[in-house]
Order: sequence, then structure tokens, then C-alpha cells
Amino acid sequence: MLRSACFVGRQTEHAPRTKVMQHTVSFTLDDKPTAVIVPTNTLLADAAHLAGIDIGQPCGGQGRCGRCAVQVTEGSVKRRSTLRLSPVDIEQGYALACQSIVEGDIAIYVPPQEKIERRLTTDRVVAEVTVPADYEYSFAQTVRRLHLTLNPPSMDDQTDDWARLQTAFRLQHQIERLTCSVGLLRKMGYVLREGDWKVTAIIETNQPADQMTARLIDLRPSHEDEYAPLWGSAIDIGTTTVTLWLVDLVTGQVRAQAAEYNGQIARGEDVVSRIIFAAKNGGGGEMRQRVLETINSLLELACKRVKSPQGKVTPDQVIKATIAGNSTMMHLLLGIPASSIRLSPFITTVNHPPSMTGRDVGLNACPEAVVDCLPGVASYVGADITSGVLSSGLDGAENVTLFLDVGTNGETVLGNRDWLVTCACSAGPAFEGAGVVNGMRATQGAIEEVWINSETLEPTYRVIGGGKPKGICGSGLISLLSEAFITGVVDKGGNVNVAASSSRVREGAHGREYVVAWGHESDSGEDIVITRVDIDNLLRAKAAIYAGFTVLAENVGIPLETTDKVLIGGSFGKYINVEKAVQIGLLPDMDWSRFEFLGNTSVKGAYLALLDWRKRERITEIAKRMTYVELSADNSFYEAFTSALFLPHTDLSKFPSVAEALESKKVDR
Amino acid sequence: MPIDIPKDKWPGSIRAITIGATSAEGGTRAKSITVGGQTTLPYLHFEAPTPNQPVIAIEIKSRKPEDWSPLLLETWGEAMNDSAQWAKKAEEAGAGLLVLALTVEDSVEDAVKAVKSVLAASGLPLIVWGPGQAEKDNELLVPIAEATKGEKLVLGICEDKNYRTIVATAMANGHLVQARTPMDVNLSKQLNILISDMGMPKDRILMDPTTGALGYGIEYGYSVMERLRLAALQGDAMTQFPMIVTPGFEAWKTKESKVGEGVPESWGDWKARAINWETLTAMALIESGADVVVLRHPESVKRVKDAIGELVIA
Repeated sequence: MLRSACFVGRQTEHAPRTKVMQHTVSFTLDDKPTAVIVPTNTLLADAAHLAGIDIGQPCGGQGRCGRCAVQVTEGSVKRRSTLRLSPVDIEQGYALACQSIVEGDIAIYVPPQEKIERRLTTDRVVAEVTVPADYEYSFAQTVRRLHLTLNPPSMDDQTDDWARLQTAFRLQHQIERLTCSVGLLRKMGYVLREGDWKVTAIIETNQPADQMTARLIDLRPSHEDEYAPLWGSAIDIGTTTVTLWLVDLVTGQVRAQAAEYNGQIARGEDVVSRIIFAAKNGGGGEMRQRVLETINSLLELACKRVKSPQGKVTPDQVIKATIAGNSTMMHLLLGIPASSIRLSPFITTVNHPPSMTGRDVGLNACPEAVVDCLPGVASYVGADITSGVLSSGLDGAENVTLFLDVGTNGETVLGNRDWLVTCACSAGPAFEGAGVVNGMRATQGAIEEVWINSETLEPTYRVIGGGKPKGICGSGLISLLSEAFITGVVDKGGNVNVAASSSRVREGAHGREYVVAWGHESDSGEDIVITRVDIDNLLRAKAAIYAGFTVLAENVGIPLETTDKVLIGGSFGKYINVEKAVQIGLLPDMDWSRFEFLGNTSVKGAYLALLDWRKRERITEIAKRMTYVELSADNSFYEAFTSALFLPHTDLSKFPSVAEALESKKVDR
Repeated sequence: MPIDIPKDKWPGSIRAITIGATSAEGGTRAKSITVGGQTTLPYLHFEAPTPNQPVIAIEIKSRKPEDWSPLLLETWGEAMNDSAQWAKKAEEAGAGLLVLALTVEDSVEDAVKAVKSVLAASGLPLIVWGPGQAEKDNELLVPIAEATKGEKLVLGICEDKNYRTIVATAMANGHLVQARTPMDVNLSKQLNILISDMGMPKDRILMDPTTGALGYGIEYGYSVMERLRLAALQGDAMTQFPMIVTPGFEAWKTKESKVGEGVPESWGDWKARAINWETLTAMALIESGADVVVLRHPESVKRVKDAIGELVIA
């Protein structure tokens, strides 16, 4: 899957002409040793080439990419640049082949390429989902599985089925008050007899206030295995992407994940156009139907992906769903008119919807399943952010922390355990791969990282799953824009530089473009390109997000540099390259170690709330604590936005590391 | 009782920029014109003198414009059929600079010929505008820049979507460029950065922040110019360029100037109104810091010139 860019051998500057000392360089690659003798001052990369070992140099041997890192196991080399290496790397003997000079006999270990990629200090890999250490189903869950054994009716005991069931609940489980829907009554008689008066009941209890009241969710014949999975689902309804996790509530494990673009996209890319569409005759119903179709198909897909020893999993086995999403998404899902969200003074019908059932909402889950829509704060700061704050731990942070959701609505939260302020800005769907000609979600076949050789302007890319590329996802777009900018393919204004001498820069159907993958390399056979229009969308998205958090910080009077950590949420796939996000001016120019990439924080928060009622209560607390700053009422936002509509920013002094990188390149731009 | 007037001292200043080259300087102009150089806000003489007066440019075209107001057609008359004649008349009308605006109908030969004939007819420094379509601009301006090497023309109009070719040819042939952005401080600054990044010397850029006519958004343009000037004086190197604006173009676009019939009687005399419109638009912009104003009517030129004289003395 890796393509090595063309090898650029070069002479080192100070090669003496006479009496050249010779050194032995021994390489080990895949346990195979090879040795060559080279004159002193030879570039390590050239020595490797001579030895027949091709070390990939996607950046053209400029020490920018760090892909050519090798380990010096014996002897030492002179390192011209260590920009890509951490002090620990250097201590362990790592050196960049393109930046190291042979000055004596040495032994070199060449690690497999994959290993190097993941080692880069700028990459922030999203953590795997782990079940919270303290998760105890019987204590933390609001749903429960109970075994009941009823006395069969007889001519002596003509009690009705429902009363008989209630009696069993009272006597066997101390549940005094039980409610039940008519739908369950319809099948109750059959289930009781089918199971020969032994049944499994799924109930919802009122944790923690009242353990003696319960609502019947499902009734199943015979006694189910106590440890068999109980299925729940955590759902994040993003404006652009809907993400669904299928969770075994007994163990707490996420058993399947699925994500797809929100079916509403066809009726508007941003929340405002969706609200307008929904307000039209019949539009609201269509919007609701579209997102339900997306969710239900994801539910089905996730069920299919589960391999359970207990047999096939079907959506109607899902007995609890916790839903996060912004306020507009929540209104449209529930079929609540959303017009007032768009109009001043921007009021929702409901920030904290009451508990509902699968049937109420229209999910193809168990009809009486608990559907818990998480609480939001305001029209433009919804449950996706409160759940994001929960999963990021921001509400418990000791030091001031910035939380960015790099999604369509660019929500930002600043604060710590004592206070939280939040704002939202319409960034558009570009970072989720929508609104970009060859954009796609971070899934199989997406280009997730790009390097451009600064001499030949040839790209090297990495594809998720390793096959032929189908398109470019958010992290790939960030990476591509940053590389194109640093190598001069685009200028600071985002204009594609047609004067660049490469056949990859050309005039296309959508204006000027850069070809990332030729048709013969791609999955569809079509060229994969990034166009001027795409770049404009990306610039607007990053400018909105950057302006959002800078204005928010100014509002609170806290200099951005003093924030302890920057937590990044977003559906980028597995990781984000912080350096590149800084280079395009999406993230503030800070020490890389202060960034933490959390992935989809919204679905993660929904997952935590799905498992544990205490986490669920914490989200309610978070929603109450957050102070909302309305950016549309802030004059400085537009100014901050236009000044950020540049690479990396109109005021380059805000990005010293990028200024330095540009200075060191001295590329004609 | 004597009053002590508080004086501001600014860390930054506007670059002084020279347009046109005399034979001693490698060109053929009778004299060159220098604009900019300010060290404080416009016309605060108690703080610092105005080093260079604002300059009036008159806009002429390579072909007789069909869409100009009859008032303009009437005053320039036959001269409009020949850009050399028009240039001469414009110089007589008191222009300090000439703007020659090319049209989409011009071939490369027409355009080069028009520029050369204007340079031959008048000794004033010259600004040349392409017709305003990216491809056509580039097609015409490159050969013009080459044919007039060393004249220190101002080539325009560079915009963020199309600046590279114009800047490259201006750099190669010793000309200046006019950098236009749509009424926004950040956008102005961004285009200046893009042009400077190409290696264009900073003393060869005029910035055009775009403006609106009186009653058509002038207050927004005024405010942007004022803020650009404040940023420059505060030391922001990428805004320290003299400003060129086009009140003539803007004012003559308005219904008040363009149309004499079918308007309310209370609007008064058409010609007086049209000239007032252009004059007042230009004066407001000069007050906000404009260094070059491009006008169309000779009477406006005369009035603005008089007013500048008074401003500079006062």
C-alpha cells in the first residue's frame, strides 16, 4: 500500500576530493544483513541505496516526513536535522536516513515502514474503546433481565395473566409497581404459555430513586442465560455523519460499530438549510424519515456484524438506545418543528427530551425499548457536546482545557471543573469529507495521509485498509492541504499554483486542481483530485473553527497559550496529524504534546451514558453548568473568521512554527 | 490660555511609492509621481506634514465606452475615439496620472498600440487596467508589460483569484501592481502578503481596498480604509501601502449620475448633481487616506484638485 516516491540521490556538500576515508555501513532489514563500503560524508540514504535497500522518502529527502527513520545500532552518524525525532528516539539511536551523514563504521537497523509511520510524534492516535473499569451491570444499568416462574392457572386459580405476572414480580423481585404497554399485553398470553410459565422479563427501573417501580420492556419465553448479551445502542446523529455502536449491556463491551452519512444531507448540508426544508409542507416528516432510515439501516448493519454464540442478533433485540446529537438533529429525529432554532432569539422546543420508547421514536428496535435522548444546552450547543464533554473528562479537569469538535457545527468548549463556556460556529461538512469532490468518510479506501515531494510535487499517500484509494477523508484533506501549502502547490490564499511544473497541477472541470491519484491507481479508475472549490470549503471550515475558539477565549479573557490541553473530537478515523492541522491553521500553534485526539467524543459520551446512570446524571449536570456564548451576537467573530481565511493565518506571527517551516523551505510561493 | 494639543506618535509609516520613470530613471515620462510616505493619520498637520499630496488620475479607455453617462460622452467628445487624444485632453484637464482601461474587444496588438500611443501623447505616469476578466487581463498585460519595460507603469487589477501572472510580469519588467480586494481589512492584507511572497518589492504595490459611491456603501469603504491606515501606522508591514480608489467608476454607476430623465424634479440639475456626486465621493475617500483617486469628469477633477490644495495648506 505504500508507494515510495522516486529516489533522489545527492552529493553531500563537503565531500573532500582526495584521500577519502572509507567506512563500512551494515544494514539489517527483515533480519537480512547487507553491507557496503562508502566514502566518509556519504548520506545514509545514499548508502542504503547503494546497498540495494530502498528507504521511502516521500518528502523528497528533506527531513520533513520522518518516514526514513532508521536505528543506528553500532557507531554513530552526524544528524543534520532531527526535527522529526523526539529526544527518546535519538537516545535509542534513531536517525533520518536522508539527514544523516556517515562518519565512521556503523550498523543500521531498518525497521518495517509501518512501524515508523505510527511512531511519529505528531500523530495523535485515538484510543481504543475500553469498558469503564468500574462498570457493573447490575448496579449501573437502568435495564435489567429477570427470571420469573409463574404458577400456572387452573380452575382453582383463574387470575388473569397480567395480574399473575405482577404477583410474580412482587414476590420474586420485590417490584411493587409495574407498567406495561398494550403491545406487550397482546403477546403476553402467548409468551407465558410458550415458555410454560417460565419467562424472562426485561424491565426498566427508575435508578436510583425507586427500585420498586418498573416498566416492562420485553417478555421472552423461558429463562434466558443470565450472561447472554442484552443489546443496547449508543447513537450519535451528526449533521453529516451518523455513528452507531452496538453494545452488550451485560459486559459493557462495544460489539459492533457502524457509521454512514446522514440521509438528510440530500436536503441540505447544514442545520439551517435542513430547518428551512423541514418547515416546508411535509418537509419535517421527510427529514424524520430520512434520518430514521439511516439509523435503522445502521442498526441492521451493526447487528449483522456481531458474531454472538447465542445466535443471530436482530434489531428488535435492542432494548435501550442512548442518542446524542445537536439540537436540530434531535428535533428533526423526533419530528418536532425546528424553525424557532433558526430565528432570533433562537429557542428550542426542548433541550432535554423526556424518556421515550423505540416505537415513539420510530426505531426498528424493540418497540418498548428505552430511548434516551441526551440533554443539550441551547439551540446550537446540543447533546453531542454535553456528551462530548463527559467523554473527554473536561468537566473534571483541574486546569483550563479547550475541547474542539471538528465537525459540521464546530462546537467548542473551554473550561475546567469549575466553569465551562461554549460556542458553536458553522464550519460545514468539509472535514467529514462531504462538500469535497473526492471526499469521503474515514473508512476503507479513504486516503488518510498525504505527503508531497517538494521537488517533484509527486504525492505519496496512505489508504485506510491498504487497498486502492476511493477518496480522501478528513485527516487526508488536512494532510493534503498542509503538504500542498508547504510545497507551494497552493499559495497562502489557497490558490492552486498552475505555474508549478507538474502534470498533477492542471485546469479541471471545477477550476484548478491537484491530482492526488491518477485513474490507474484509484478504485474507480477516475483521477482523485482536490479542487480550488474544495480548498475554499476547507479554508472556510478551518477558519470558522479557529475563529470560534479564539473569540471564545477572548470572551473569557483567557489567552489560548495558557490552556493546559487541547482535546480534539471529530470523525477523522483513527488519528490526526497535529503538525499538519497546525500548518493549515486549524489548531493553535502549541507544543504537540498538549493535543489529545479523542475521535468521536459524542458517540463515546452516549456510550458511557448508555451504560451507567451515574454518567447519565453527570451529562445533565454538564448541560446545566455550561454557559453558552452566541457568536452571531459577537462583532469580533467575522473579523476573526476572515483573518483566519488564509494559510495558516493572515497574522503569521500567531503561527511561529509554520513561519519557521516556510522560512526553512524558501520555496517560491 | 494656551492649549496643549496632544500628539500621537506612531511606530509605523506608509511606504513612499514612485509611479512612472523619467528618461534619467530608465523610462520616458516627463516626471514621476510619488505617493504615500505618511507618518500619521490624514492631514493632521499639527502632528506631521503630508509628505506627498493625493494624486488625481483620470480614467480613459482604449475604445469609446458605450455604457458611460451621456454627460461624460459630451464633455470628452471626439477625443474618446482615440486614446492618445483623450490622454492629451485628460492631461490638460489637470490629471496627475492617467489610467488606461482596456476592453475585452482589444486584441493584443490593439492593446499594446493603445498603451504606446498614450505614452507617446502624454508625459504623465500611467496605470493600465486589463478588461477585468482573468484570462483576458493576463493575455493583454503580459505583452504590454514587456513592451513598456522600465516605464514603471502600474498594472492592474490584481485580485486574489488572479494575481500571479500580473505580478510576475510586473516584477520582470520593472512595473508596479494594483492589488484590489473587496472592502475588507483582512482580505487586503492577505493579497498584499500573496504578492509580496512572490518576491515583489514592497515599494511597488498600490492597494485598492474597493469603495462604494456616496449613498452606496461609502461609509463601509471609508471605515475599511481608515482601519487599514491605523493598522499600517501601528506597524503592520502588510498594510503600509498607498491606497488607490475609484470614486469616478463608483459615482458614475449610480442612478443619480447616470440618468437625467424620469427622476424626481427635486433631484435638481442633472449635471450639477452628477459632478457633486463624484466630487463628494472622492473627497470623503481622500479624507480617509486615499493616495490616488481615479476620476472621470474634468469638472470634478478641477474641484477635487482645489480642495486638495486647501487640505494640504490648512
